Amino acid sequence: MPSPALLKRLLALPPSLRRSFWSSSATAAPAGKPDIYDVVCVGGGPAGLSFVSALQSHPATRALKVALIDSQDLTTSRTANDAEKYSNRCSSLTPSSLRFLEGIGAWEKAREERTQAYHAMDVWDGVSGSKIHFDMVDKQSHGVLDSIAEMVPGSRFQASRRKYETSAEDGVVATMCENSNLTAALLQRLKDFGAGEQLAQVQMWDKTKVDSIDLGPEAVDEKSLDLSQWPIVTTQHGQIAARLLVGADGANSPVRQFAGIPSHGWDYNQHGLVATLHLDHPFTASELRTAYQRFLPTGPIALLPLPDNKASLVWSTNPQHAARLKQLSPSDFTATVNAAFRLMPVDINYMLTPSASNQAEEFAWREPATPASSTGLPSPFPRITGVQEGTVASFPLRMRHADTYTGHRLALIGDAAHTIHPLAGQGLNLGLADAEALATQLAYGMEHGMDIGSCWCLDGYNSERWAANNAMIGVVDKLKKVYSAGSGPVVWGRSLGLEVIDRLGAVKGAFMGAAAGTR
Amino acid sequence: MKPTTISPLSLKRVLALPPQLRSRTFSILNRPPPNYAGHVPLTLVERGALALGSAFGSLRNPHRHDLIAALGEATAKPYFVSRLRRAMLENPTGRRILKDQPRISSQTMSLEKLRQLPDNTVGRAYAAWLDREGVTPDTRDAVKYIDDPEEAYVMQRYRETHDFTHAITGLPVIIEGELAIKAFEFANTVLPMTALSLVAVVRLKPIERKRFFETYLPWALSNGLKAEEVVNVYWEEELATDVDVLRRRLGIEKPPDLREIRQVLKDQKKAEKAAREARERLGAATGV
Repeated sequence: MPSPALLKRLLALPPSLRRSFWSSSATAAPAGKPDIYDVVCVGGGPAGLSFVSALQSHPATRALKVALIDSQDLTTSRTANDAEKYSNRCSSLTPSSLRFLEGIGAWEKAREERTQAYHAMDVWDGVSGSKIHFDMVDKQSHGVLDSIAEMVPGSRFQASRRKYETSAEDGVVATMCENSNLTAALLQRLKDFGAGEQLAQVQMWDKTKVDSIDLGPEAVDEKSLDLSQWPIVTTQHGQIAARLLVGADGANSPVRQFAGIPSHGWDYNQHGLVATLHLDHPFTASELRTAYQRFLPTGPIALLPLPDNKASLVWSTNPQHAARLKQLSPSDFTATVNAAFRLMPVDINYMLTPSASNQAEEFAWREPATPASSTGLPSPFPRITGVQEGTVASFPLRMRHADTYTGHRLALIGDAAHTIHPLAGQGLNLGLADAEALATQLAYGMEHGMDIGSCWCLDGYNSERWAANNAMIGVVDKLKKVYSAGSGPVVWGRSLGLEVIDRLGAVKGAFMGAAAGTR
Repeated sequence: MKPTTISPLSLKRVLALPPQLRSRTFSILNRPPPNYAGHVPLTLVERGALALGSAFGSLRNPHRHDLIAALGEATAKPYFVSRLRRAMLENPTGRRILKDQPRISSQTMSLEKLRQLPDNTVGRAYAAWLDREGVTPDTRDAVKYIDDPEEAYVMQRYRETHDFTHAITGLPVIIEGELAIKAFEFANTVLPMTALSLVAVVRLKPIERKRFFETYLPWALSNGLKAEEVVNVYWEEELATDVDVLRRRLGIEKPPDLREIRQVLKDQKKAEKAAREARERLGAATGV
C-alpha cells in the first residue's frame, strides 16, 4: 500500500496516467490473473512479423510489451540452403514493400542470392493475342510534354533522361522472394533486437495454439482491474490480456471471428497452382529479367523469375484442371505448362481433359502448328524444361474483404483483413502495407499519449488502408472477370484497351505506379 | 509464268533496300515465301478484290467451281476458318483428322472397292452418288489463298468432304440441291462462302424457289444447327457405316428426295399436258 504522500501525488496526475500506473502495477499480479501485454499479435507470418519488427524499430513503440503467438515452429530457419531447390511459395515484393522492409532492417537479413529482381513484364491475352509490355522506362516518362520535348530537334532531353535512368538505382518492377526467406529474415531481425542494445521485449510463443479469445472478467473489487472490455488470449502458456490484439492469423482468422467482424466476398471456383520450374538456360545475377503473364479464359498463368535457371509458376485455373495437373507425370506436366504459354486455349483445354494422355506428344505436335504471332507469345520466351520434384501444389482462390479492420482493442492486418486473387501478385504486398500503416499509427498514438487500443488511435489505420485495399481488391476482381471471357465483345474490348494502353507510356506508368504501391 | 510488269529499274530499287525493309515491301513485286506448297500470299486489297470478283463471277456462272473455291478462301479469314479449326481441335476425332491430315482423292478412295460395300453404307452411297452425278473425288481444287497451313488444310478438308455431305443427305448436284447443301453447311460450319452462295437463289424458277423456301431451307437450317460438326467426321473410317446410323449419330434428318419430287412433278405435268392435249384433240374432233 503506498504511503499517503505518494497517494496524494498520484491522485494529482491526469486520469489516464493514473490508470496506467495502476495497470502497470497490476502486471505484477499473482498467478491466475492474466498477464497484460500492450500488443498481442496472433500469427507469425510475413505480415505479423514485419508489424512486430516495425514496432521494434521505431523509438516511440520500442518499449511496448509485445507478445507474438504462432502455431508453427518459427525458430528453425525454413529456407533451404540448397541453391538448386526453391520453395513453391514465392511472392513478388513491390518496391514500396522493399522500402518498408529495408526501413525496419529486415531486408539486409534476407538471403539475397535467393531473391530475384525483375525489370520488365510481358502480359498478353490468351484469346486475342493482344499484349502489353511494362518496364521502367514507362514509369519514368511523365506525360505528353516529355514526348513533345523528346521530339524537338537538338533537344538534350533524351541524353539527360538516359542519365537519370541509369542513376535511378534499379529500374526494378518487383523482386521475387521465397516466403520462407522473408520470414527467416524477419525472425533474424527480431532475434537481433533481443540480443542487441535493448532487452528482449518481444515474447515469442511459437508452436502455440490459441485455445480461446474472450473478454476478461469484470472487476471484483475496487483494487482489481476491470478487464471486461479487454481481449484475453488463452494458450498453453496461460492467459494474457491485450491492450491491443492484432490479428495477423490468416484468412480464417480466429481474431476476426472473436471480434465478430464480417468478411464479405466470393469464391472464384478457381485453384491457384504453384510449382518451381527449371528453364532451358541459366541467367546470371546481373541480367535483366522479365516476368510473364498470359490470361487464359480459365485463369491467368504467370512465370516469375527466380535466380539462375529457376522460375516460379502461378497458374490460376478451374479445380478440375488443377486436379488433373497434379496427377500428371513431370514430363507431361512440363509439356502442359509450356502448352499453356504457347498454344491456343482450345489445345490447353483438350490436354487437360480427363481422357487426354501423353501431353508431351500432343504439345510436340501442336507447337509447330501454332505460330507465335497468332498467340501473342513474347519473342524471347524461355522454354520450361522441368519441374522441381514435390513442388506442385494448389489452393482455392477467393476474394474476401473484412467490413472493418479495427474494433475495440483489436486490429486486423494481412490475410485476416483481406484475401485477393493472385493475378496481380498483391496479396503479401497489401499485408506488408497494412503492417507498416498500423505500426506507424501506433507510433503516432504513443507520441501523442493515446491508449493504443482505443478507436481514437486505430481509426487512422482503418481509414488509411481500407479504401486503398478495397480499390486494389476491386480492380483485381474486375480484371479477373474481364479476362474470364473466352470470346465475343468482351474480348474485343479488352484487347483494344490493352493495345491502347500499351501505346500510352504515361498511362502505363500510372498503372505500374499503382501496382508498385507508390503513393 | 513470266512476271511481265517488273521493270529492271524498280526491281533494282527494291533490292537496294535494307533486307528488313525489303521483306516488308509486300507487293506484286515482292511476295513473302509461301507457307506451304501451292500457297499464294495476298494483301488485304488483293483479298478483297478476289472476293468481289469471284462472287460476281460465280453468280454469273455457277458451274465455275474454281471461282466458288476462291470466294470461300477469300472470305474465310478472319474468324470463320479459325472457328472451324477450333471446333475440330475441341473434338478428339477432329484432332485426329488434323494430326493425320488425310486427303480424299481417287488414289486414296478406291471407287471399285466402295462399289462392293454392302447396300446403304456410307461408302456405297458415296460411290453411287459420284456415279449418278458424274463427278470424281478429284474434282476439288487445292486451297491456295489461306495463310496458315493448318487452316488451309481445314478448308481443304471441308471442300473434299462436301461430296460426302451430298452422299448422306442424297441431295443432287443441281443448283437447287446444291443450295440446300450450302444452307446446311452454313448453319453447320458458319463459313461465309456458303451463305454468299445462297444469293444464287435468284436463279431458281419460281416453283423451285417456293420449294426451296418452304421445304429445303427450313430443313437445312434446323438440321445444320442441330447436328454435330460434320467436319469432325473421319469419313475414311466411316465408309462401312450404315448411312442411317451415321445420320442418327450426327443428328441429321433425311431431307425429302429432290429428284423424286421433281420426277413426280414432271410426270404430273406431263400427264396434265397429255390430258390437255387429248382434250384439245377431242374438242377439235367434236368441233366444240
